[in-house]
Amino acid sequence: MWKIIVRRLLIMIPQVFLLSILVFLMAKAMPGDALTGMLDPNIDPAAIEAMRERLGLNDPWYIQYWNWISNAVQGDLGQSFNFKMPVTELIGQRLMNTVWLSLVTLVLTYLIAIPLGIISGRFNDTWGDRLITGYTYVGFAAPLFIVALLMLWMFGFYFSWFPTGGSVAPGEVPGTFSYLLSKLYHMLLPALSIALITTVGTVQYLRNEIIDMKQKDFILTARAKGASESRVYNRHILRNSLLPIAAFFGYELTGLIGGTIFVESIFSYPGMGQLFLGSIVIRDFTVVTALVLLYGIATIIGSLLSDIILSIVDPRIRIK
Amino acid sequence: MALLEVRDLQVHFPIRGGLFSRQVGEVKAVDRVNLTIEAGQTYGLVGESGSGKTTTGRAIIGLNQITGGNVLFEGIDLASRGARKQNSVRREVQMIFQDPYSSLNPKKRVLDIISEPLRNFEKQSPQEEKRRVQELLEQVGLSPDNIYKYPHEFSGGQRQRIGIARAIALKPKLIIADEPVSALDVSVQAQVLNFLRDIQKELNLTYLFISHDLGIIRHMCDRIGIMYKGRHVEEGVPKDIFDNPQHIYTKRLIAAIPDIDPLQREERSNFRRSVSEDYEHAYRSYFDGDGLAYPLRSISDTHRVAMPEKG
Amino acid sequence: MAKSGTELPLPHNIDKSPSGWSILWQEIIKDKLALISLIFLAVVILGVFGTALFLDQKEIVTVDLFALYEKPSARFWLGTDYGGRDVFGQLIIGTRNSLSIGIMVTVMTGAIGILVGLVSGYFGGVIDNLFMRLVDFFMILPMLMMVIAFVTAVPKYNTLTFSLIMTAFLWMGIARLIRSKTLQEKELEYVQASRTLGSSHLKIIFKQVMPNLSSIIIVTMTLNLAANIGLESGLSFLGFGFPESTPSLGTLVSYARNPQTLESRWWIWLPASLLILVLMLSINNVGQALKRATDARQRRG
Repeated sequence: MWKIIVRRLLIMIPQVFLLSILVFLMAKAMPGDALTGMLDPNIDPAAIEAMRERLGLNDPWYIQYWNWISNAVQGDLGQSFNFKMPVTELIGQRLMNTVWLSLVTLVLTYLIAIPLGIISGRFNDTWGDRLITGYTYVGFAAPLFIVALLMLWMFGFYFSWFPTGGSVAPGEVPGTFSYLLSKLYHMLLPALSIALITTVGTVQYLRNEIIDMKQKDFILTARAKGASESRVYNRHILRNSLLPIAAFFGYELTGLIGGTIFVESIFSYPGMGQLFLGSIVIRDFTVVTALVLLYGIATIIGSLLSDIILSIVDPRIRIK
Repeated sequence: MALLEVRDLQVHFPIRGGLFSRQVGEVKAVDRVNLTIEAGQTYGLVGESGSGKTTTGRAIIGLNQITGGNVLFEGIDLASRGARKQNSVRREVQMIFQDPYSSLNPKKRVLDIISEPLRNFEKQSPQEEKRRVQELLEQVGLSPDNIYKYPHEFSGGQRQRIGIARAIALKPKLIIADEPVSALDVSVQAQVLNFLRDIQKELNLTYLFISHDLGIIRHMCDRIGIMYKGRHVEEGVPKDIFDNPQHIYTKRLIAAIPDIDPLQREERSNFRRSVSEDYEHAYRSYFDGDGLAYPLRSISDTHRVAMPEKG
Repeated sequence: MAKSGTELPLPHNIDKSPSGWSILWQEIIKDKLALISLIFLAVVILGVFGTALFLDQKEIVTVDLFALYEKPSARFWLGTDYGGRDVFGQLIIGTRNSLSIGIMVTVMTGAIGILVGLVSGYFGGVIDNLFMRLVDFFMILPMLMMVIAFVTAVPKYNTLTFSLIMTAFLWMGIARLIRSKTLQEKELEYVQASRTLGSSHLKIIFKQVMPNLSSIIIVTMTLNLAANIGLESGLSFLGFGFPESTPSLGTLVSYARNPQTLESRWWIWLPASLLILVLMLSINNVGQALKRATDARQRRG
């Protein structure tokens, strides 16, 4: 057990290192640097050149990388040229918004997926099952941004049930209960949009698993012993089918990363995805590099978590 | 000169483990095996699974890396690098595989399967190739009309015949037959075995016959080697092995052969009992400290056994 | 002459047995939903590429200030956008562009993935280790962000560079899949048989192993095609796909990022959105049907 974790952690180190180099070089390769945006004909070019020199923008790339990474390790990801504030601080605000959005999405995902999966698997080939299977079919094919857009159009604009942008209603005082409620209210529609799509995998998995399990010998034995139908499901089938779902949690997390970019952009939700898109347009590359690095590390940790949980839950996977 | 001479053949597999999958040990799958096969003869290798008999065969044909020793085929050492690059050796040693289901590519038609070696070694026109494949099919007792069929349309015995047709397509000298009938129905086994003997005479083939079934080995072979844990325990002509087994492992194998003659029941069970007693009391004198066999020692012109010198 | 034994004589017909492809085709035809999807796709592809021949892309993307935000009419079947450009024309050209790039990316990722997977799985050992570490590394990259960043970083990008960038971050999935299937396949005796028959590694990989993976390759490529079209239009939607002079389906949808357009000018973005949805659904239907067909064959076989 510990061997696996140590091994995975050891693999992580070069991965993070490579990721940071790649990210840094990519940012360097982007046309123009942060000062290009400030090019104002009234400013003396010599002054800009002096500023470049002072910021170290003329050093060779490995020196710049070294400065950047050694600061990053200490938690200093540099200054955002656009917002004129430390990147860490800037991301910090947005990070919480995205984390909360992801959490609400995960909760919604499981809230939708587990009952649907169980119904679909337990009563397979009834019309209820067919309806759910149809939904998974569409959900599997549908791209997130279209679903999110349709949701916003329908429930945000047409019915006006939900707010169409932002993360909290203006004028709410932080810390109050109504502030919290407003935040949740703003998150609901974006989260639901993602959840409608991410549930699909779990529903399909649960359905197949339960249908497979039904014919297994140990279930037949349980039935033959006279266990009631609900006991068969609760004690035997679900216990075996639901555990791996817990393990997919980490992968689910990494899947959310791509999703939040679309959804935050569509719902103008001030999270990291929106910050990323905004920063890349104005070439605020300190923010871009920091965000890509952060997302990359989140992916690594997500898959690490899943592998570990999976190997705890399912002893068959515990080879190597 | 013998057709094939194997000297001190070793095949070791690394065991990997630990944090960085370092090599932490090795399995000696074949541990200093010697054997000699004369042209036109059949040499039988017997042993339980994991005894190294299959690995020996696979090492001779080049499917397993040889760790040490020599494999002399007509005087050419196949263990040396580059020896197999010479096409003559590669086409003269062929193999018949155990599983007729997985040894034929399911996506290929019979024509493509049998002509694979022809395409590799002989530049023939498609017509010549097709004619040759039809000839081969006839030779193994299948209708030449089958060339456009897929393997799944044939029975196990028929598939094995296709495998044999493929192996003899290049007119090889040595054929390594790795459990060629153990995946087949008993009713078909005899047919395929007899057929193997027929083509042996017809094409003057030499066989290295690998099996766990002593009955088949007795039926087929001119010389028999018994393997246990990567080493030979006994070697000799069938008479030596079956009528005068020396090593306890050979004795136990022979004692396990079922006999349906009720008149010999008493005799057989006495034999079994004595073997079993011998095994319990004299285990030490047959195996060394690691439970492995001792080196072979001649006890007659034909008979060699892995037992330490008495005294 | 060898004895022919007592096994059942095979019927005397020399006709060819149906190949794997024709069986696959029959399965698709039996599956009504997949068949409808396939016909729909054929109609869309033929229609779009055919109509696009008669449409002038330059003319369609030229701004017409006298026809801003027009509602659907006889002249503009689906109205006009904020630049007075015909939405229907953009829809046709956009579908063509989206399909083309989807196919291009699918083929390129497929080629790389299959090659890497086959080589890695077949040879194993150091080569496999090397490739798999590379795949692992690419897997942790936040794909969407990387593509966006590269699209911004590449100085003068066009459809080719765009599809190359997408390919660079999308080949790993199929590589992994093909690798694991190759690992299983190479354990089968026919691969070893080929070795003893004198076939080279290259021949074995491409002529013996690959045909046995053909069904899984087709299924994966089909499903990937749908995903790639979705991803491309998603990127164009965010503004990091095609340049505006080359409209894609996503470009049309991206006009909906203007709340007013989203709320009250449905004709601009809704048709494109629905088309993306239906296209992806149909391709997926075909892919799923192929998947079932190959599964069923495995059960029978």
